[in-house]
Amino acid sequence: MTTSASSPEPEQPSGYLRLTRLRCRWRSAFDTIGRAERIALILGVGLVILLVVVPSFLPYGPADLVDAPLTPPSWIHPLGTDDLGRDLLSRVVYGMRTSLASSVLVVASGVVIGGVIGLVAGMAAGWADAVLMRLTDLFLALPGPLLVLAIVAALGASLAHTLIGVAVVWWPWYARVVRGQVRATVGMAHVETARLVGLGRVRVALRHVLPSAFGPVIVTASLDLGNVILLLASLSFLGLGTPDPAAELGQMTARGLTYLLTNWWVAVMPAAAVFLLTFIANFAGDGIRDMIERS
Amino acid sequence: MARFLLARLVALVFILLALTLAVFIIDAAVPTDPVAANLGAGASQALIQATRHALGYDQPVYVQYVRFLGRVLHGDLGTSLRTHNPVAADLAQFAPATLELALASVILISVLALLLGLWSASGAPGATAIRFALVSLASAPTFFFAIVLIFVFYSWLGVLPASGRTTAGSATGFVMTRDLWTGNFAGWLDGLRHVLLPAVVIALGPAVAIGRVLRGSLVDAMTQDHIKTARSKGISEWAVLLRHGLRNALTPVLAMAGLQLGLVLTGVIVVETVFAWPGLGLYASEALVNSDFPAVIGVTLVLGGVYVVINAAVDVLQVLADPRLKDQR
Repeated sequence: MTTSASSPEPEQPSGYLRLTRLRCRWRSAFDTIGRAERIALILGVGLVILLVVVPSFLPYGPADLVDAPLTPPSWIHPLGTDDLGRDLLSRVVYGMRTSLASSVLVVASGVVIGGVIGLVAGMAAGWADAVLMRLTDLFLALPGPLLVLAIVAALGASLAHTLIGVAVVWWPWYARVVRGQVRATVGMAHVETARLVGLGRVRVALRHVLPSAFGPVIVTASLDLGNVILLLASLSFLGLGTPDPAAELGQMTARGLTYLLTNWWVAVMPAAAVFLLTFIANFAGDGIRDMIERS
Repeated sequence: MARFLLARLVALVFILLALTLAVFIIDAAVPTDPVAANLGAGASQALIQATRHALGYDQPVYVQYVRFLGRVLHGDLGTSLRTHNPVAADLAQFAPATLELALASVILISVLALLLGLWSASGAPGATAIRFALVSLASAPTFFFAIVLIFVFYSWLGVLPASGRTTAGSATGFVMTRDLWTGNFAGWLDGLRHVLLPAVVIALGPAVAIGRVLRGSLVDAMTQDHIKTARSKGISEWAVLLRHGLRNALTPVLAMAGLQLGLVLTGVIVVETVFAWPGLGLYASEALVNSDFPAVIGVTLVLGGVYVVINAAVDVLQVLADPRLKDQR
C-alpha cells in the first residue's frame, strides 16, 4: 500500500476486506436465529449439495430393474425395491431432486413474473397501477390449485405442464409484495436524488427502487417453498405429473398404495421423502426470515 | 353496512364471472380439436364442419364465451366421457358425500385450531416441543398422514375402517344425516367411524396453520389496554381470554382460514382418492386419470364457485368481527 495517511479520500476497502465484512454480517445474523432454524439451514444446504452430487455415485439408476420385486429394506437396498424391482433409494433420491428443483423453479417464476408486474405497477402509478393490481386481486380471489388441475387436464399430464400451470397462478402474492415495497420506496429522498441527477426511469427503477424489495421477496419466497413442494407432490400424486418410468415422489406414492398393507415401504418411502423435504424447507425458511428481519 | 355488503356482492359476481372466463380459456386451450375427437377418426371433413357449426365452434370467441356462460348458468356442464352421464347429474350424485366429509372436517378444524391456539397462547409448558410438532404437522403431505393413520388405526390396531362411507358398501346421498334423522344410531355410528380418518387427515394441516395464527394474534390482543382493564376488574383469566381476547384476535384467523381453503379443496381430492370416499374428489381424481375433460371442468367450476363464495363470506365475517376494517376495503 502506497497510499499515504494524509490522503483526503477515505480509503476504499479492498475486495477481501469487503468480503470479510459481508461474512461478518451474515455470521452475526446467523448467530441470532434459533437453534432449530440453524440446524435446518445447514441441513438444507447439505441436502442441496447431496442431491446435486450424490445421484452420480448411486449404484443404480432410477429406472433400472435391479432385484426381485417388492424386496423389503436391507443393506443392499436401504429403502427396499418397488413392484417392478427398482431400487427405491435411487428413485427417492432422484424424486427429491426433481421435487426440489421444480419447486425452486416455480417460486422463481413467481418472483420474476410477480416482480415485473409489481415493479411496473408501483413505478407507473395511476391507471396502469390500478389495472395491474385489480388483475392481481382477481387472480388471488380465484382458487389457484383447482385451476392448475384444469390447466394440466387440458394440456395433458406431465411435470412440465404442471409447472406451467402452477406458474400461471403463483405470481400474484409476489406482485403485491413488490408493489407495496416499490410504492413505499418511490417517494424516498435517494430515489428523488437519482431522478434529479437525470438517470433514466428504467435505471432508477432497477438500481434505486427495486433493491428495497429484495428482503421481503426473499422472506416470502423462502416461506413459500414448502407449500410449493407440497402442492407439486399432491398434483403428482393425483396423476398430473410425468407418468411412471419417471421418478416423482407423489406419483411413486400413489403407485405404492396398491401394496400398502402388504409391502408398506413402496408407498411410505417416497411420501416420507416429501415430508423430509418440506420439513427442512419450512424450518430453513423460518431461519432465513429471521436472519433477514434481524440483520 | 348495507353499502359494504352490496359492494362485496358486486365484487363476488365479477369474480365468479372471472372464474368462468378462466375455465373457458382453459377449455379453449385443449390442443386436440374437441369436435373431431368426439366424432372419432373416421368422420368426414363435411361432418366435422357441420358438427362444428351446430355446436357453435365456428362463432367468434366472445359469442362462444357467452354461449358457454349460458350453458353453465342453466346447469349444463356437458357429458362425462367416462360415465356417459351429464356432468351436472354426476356432481349432484357425488356432492352429498363430500359435503358430509367437509362438515366433519370443519368441525374438527375449529375444535383443534381453538384448542391449539388457546393452549399455546396460555403459555402452557413444553412450548418448543409443541412448536416442533406443529411444524412437522404443517410439513407433512396429506397422503403421508393418510398412509400413517391407515397403518396405525386400520392395519395395526384394527379399530377404524380405511375405505368407503359405510360397512355395507359405497352409498350416495346424505348417509349420516339420514341415519341421524331417522334415529338409526348404529348406522350413524358406522358412518362416524368411516368419516373419522379422512376428516382428521383433511383437518390437521389447516388446523395447525390456523392455530398458529390464532396464537400470534391472541398474544398481540392480550397485551392491549382493554385487557388490562378487564383483568383489573377481577374477571377470571379464562373469561378475559375468551370474551376480550378471542374476538379481537379473530380477524387474522379468518384471513388465514380463507387462505387455507384452496389447499383444503385439493386436499379433499387427495384424501377421497386414498380413502375411496365416493365424493366429488374421487370423481375428480378418476376424471383426471381418464382424461375426462368435461368432468374436470365441471368439478373445477363447482368447487371453484364454492371457494369464491366462502372467501367472500369470510371477508364479510372479518368486518363483522372488526367493523374498523370496513373503511379499509
